Amino acid sequence: MSGRGLVAAVLALLTLTGGVAVAAPPADRVLSADQYTTDKGRALARAHGRALQELNADIYHCWPWVEVQKSSIGFYRPKNVQQDDRYLSARIYIEQDPSPAFARLRFEERSTAMFSRYVGPLLRRMTKDQAVSADPNLDGFTAILEWMKPAPPVGGRPVHETLAVFIDKAGAIEYLSGRVDIRTLATRARVLGFDGETALGVVALGAPWDDNFVMTFKVANYQLEPGVVC
Amino acid sequence: MRSVRGKLLLLSAVLVATAGCATGEEWNTWYTHRTHFASYDHLGFSVRNTEGSAPRVTRTDIALARDEGWWGKPITVSQEQILER
Repeated sequence: MSGRGLVAAVLALLTLTGGVAVAAPPADRVLSADQYTTDKGRALARAHGRALQELNADIYHCWPWVEVQKSSIGFYRPKNVQQDDRYLSARIYIEQDPSPAFARLRFEERSTAMFSRYVGPLLRRMTKDQAVSADPNLDGFTAILEWMKPAPPVGGRPVHETLAVFIDKAGAIEYLSGRVDIRTLATRARVLGFDGETALGVVALGAPWDDNFVMTFKVANYQLEPGVVC
Repeated sequence: MRSVRGKLLLLSAVLVATAGCATGEEWNTWYTHRTHFASYDHLGFSVRNTEGSAPRVTRTDIALARDEGWWGKPITVSQEQILER
């Protein structure tokens, strides 16, 4: 093959394959179906495996400042619930620059700010595939938000603060359809706080608001992979 | 023939010597700025975004930077304290 022919062949191949392989998030961020302890959990995982991988990819590409750890997305049961209630759960770690203003807030105020910023957008992404929320086996949604505690490390290790928000399906759908606002959503949600590994119990949120941060914030010079739309 | 072989040998020696010097300089630069260039992947990212070219950050760049900038296992609540499988 001549040099020109080789170049043409490579270009054709690149065109056919979309140029370059899209960087994909690790698939292990989604809990695999065989890891569930009940048939209901396994059935949800098998029915909506693709939707969960798409949620994983959405967060990975569209919120690049957010990190999702292994098995952070799945149809989990909230701890200590008697029935086998299955909630679509997503746990995210939010990276942000140190901010004196954020550090000055009390934990409840930081929690309210994070609730305002992430719970609504996360619910929207979690319900992008309508078949998930329409599944009668699904009982609700869990958003677990984690961020660096604005405090010195302990024993050389950074400390994270965590907010776990449990919302029943009816409440989430009413909010997403615009029938209730974010404040009503917050009053209907069960919200637990954690300081490092220490459970703080139910968190009394302030008055949350619809924060448009995730719609407007852009990582400097960040370029989406070819073919990815946010 | 001998002359050609000799020239090739000389050329190889020059290339090896030049490459050796360049690597040494790069190493010094990398070492003094190792917080910026923690790996060759980072170095590649930095070199790609040279002055005059349109800067660009990919998702892979962010993942690599995050891995390299990770500063210890955090103290945080385990998944099992919140959720059950």
